[in-house]
Amino acid sequence: MADSPEEIKKHLTLYKIIGATLFVCTVLTVAVAKIELLDFGARGFDTADMVLGLLIALFKSTLVAVVFMHLSSEKKMIYWLFGFGLIGAFFLMAITAFAFADPIHYEGFFGR
Amino acid sequence: MEIPYIVEPRKDTGLNNSKIAIWLFLASEVMLFGGLFSGYIFLRIYADYPWPERTLPVLPGLINTFILIASSITVVFAWVALKLGNWRKFQIHMSITLACAALFMVFKAVEYKAKLEHQAIRLDDYTVIEGHAYPQVKGGDKKITKNLNIKASQVQIDLKRIDDIYYETMGAQYEGKFTLADRLELNSGTVFEKDTEISKSMIDAAKEDLIKALANNSNINIAVARQASSDAGDQPHLKGKRYYDKDRKDFIAKRTKELKTAEKDNYADVTESLTFKSKEGKVDISVNPRWGKLSNSKEGEDGTLKLKDETLISGTTANSSIEIHVDGIDFRHTVMKAVEKGIDPEAAINNSWLLKDAGMKLIWDKHLVSVAKLEESLVGTDHVPTDVELYRVNWQEIAGLEKHSIADLKGMTHSEIKKLFPGDIEGFAGPNHGKVTYPAITVPREQVRFEAVFSPRWNTYYATYFTITGLHGLHIIGGALVLGYYLFFGRKMFDSNPEWLANRVEVGGLFWHFVDLVWIFLFPILYLM
Repeated sequence: MADSPEEIKKHLTLYKIIGATLFVCTVLTVAVAKIELLDFGARGFDTADMVLGLLIALFKSTLVAVVFMHLSSEKKMIYWLFGFGLIGAFFLMAITAFAFADPIHYEGFFGR
Repeated sequence: MEIPYIVEPRKDTGLNNSKIAIWLFLASEVMLFGGLFSGYIFLRIYADYPWPERTLPVLPGLINTFILIASSITVVFAWVALKLGNWRKFQIHMSITLACAALFMVFKAVEYKAKLEHQAIRLDDYTVIEGHAYPQVKGGDKKITKNLNIKASQVQIDLKRIDDIYYETMGAQYEGKFTLADRLELNSGTVFEKDTEISKSMIDAAKEDLIKALANNSNINIAVARQASSDAGDQPHLKGKRYYDKDRKDFIAKRTKELKTAEKDNYADVTESLTFKSKEGKVDISVNPRWGKLSNSKEGEDGTLKLKDETLISGTTANSSIEIHVDGIDFRHTVMKAVEKGIDPEAAINNSWLLKDAGMKLIWDKHLVSVAKLEESLVGTDHVPTDVELYRVNWQEIAGLEKHSIADLKGMTHSEIKKLFPGDIEGFAGPNHGKVTYPAITVPREQVRFEAVFSPRWNTYYATYFTITGLHGLHIIGGALVLGYYLFFGRKMFDSNPEWLANRVEVGGLFWHFVDLVWIFLFPILYLM
């Protein structure tokens, strides 16, 4: 992370560019959902729109995390902490998914 | 006491302590919101009703996204200003950040208000109608009128369950109109003669008497049980037998019966409910539907209104219909149920209760023309209309086609019809009932399967919407309070230890960026998908 005043000043332009990119990406997300010409896949909302919308959101959030939250130049320990949070979140999603795969939902499980 | 490593990094981690603390906190926040998002995903995948996709007005969400991005930029600029030792610029950027936070919450409040004023009714045949269930008078009272009404001849109060809050609310409707059906003599000796008027003091006295009677009887029962058990222990043939032994159990049961008979004069009388009859004719009683349920919702037939505290109000069901100005019709659930039962969806729609109303039929017929024009426009492409386009009529369509006849519409192309629809600005946070008078329909209570405003009660979509956006809103408020503290009380620290203040603002800023990051996912998931 930049610490000297000169280095910090240099980053100001980068912050402005990232901010503008975030605005543009937000407009793009809405355009993909609202404008027929940009409706990929089947008509209306479908998997293609969902994937595209989430990819744009992922791109935007990466910009925020990497530049605004200074993850691009952080110490190793921060990566471990943030990574731990992400893995924990995916683990929570996974255990919910496993609950749906529980054989208790299968009628034959009880011999019926 | 001096706090260590607030500016200089620790040797082992290479970081100052506050930064490690905020990242640990953010890691837990990632898991919290991750858990909520996973809840949303699974509720959506396994929903047993048509999911309300792309149902929220996009503009408030879009503006709020812009606001949060702008605040993310200004909070970084505020930190940069501190690093460069410029207090004035820090003040400007941090003030803009806080203004953005306030604006975000204002838009959220506008959105929530629109939802909580917007009524939805799922009819008995699963048709969903949406609209406003209060008079469409400018500046008029926006209180939704949808009470359950009964012409009551009798009120039965369950003394074990009656709650003060229910009596305090309902009491005015009972008092002076209902009298005691039978003479009541309490264990304390107090007597209420038949035909005594219902009163809070009478119910309180009877309730207190019941509690004392139950306590007295319970004490006797406990003493009897102990005595019976002790007597069993004294029996030579039961010596060493465990409590589940049949002989022992039989002996105790027999002994308990004997002891209870011996104690019969000591048991207090238990009066669990009080019955009151109306003094003259039938009394109009009106109750908020959240407080109770009608056993028979058909007007003019015998019915009972059961309140949540088990109070039973019996009589004749009165008009409990809901008048609603319809700004949305959704047949998707009707179609889903028809398909499940093997019924032709078109027939299910045509036979629906809603389309028996001429005004609603006209809206639907116009919609069918619009769909036909859409299908025409899609000829030669791989596309087909979506379920939403086929079976849902939204407020733009109702408002836009209101002044056009079916013959007019038949002469237009699909894009010409679409141009008649009002834009998003007109219905900024929901259908604009100020500009358009939406057609009204009176829905009899027996046709109502379920009704609610667009609150968490309506469906799991709104439950997750309010939970996640509400929690996010609390994060905005919390973050703004912390950043506001640095702005309004940070000057002293800036003069004595500017680097410490810069570190604090960086940590607060990290939280603020995280809040922005959560919204970056919330906006497309809740508003656009």
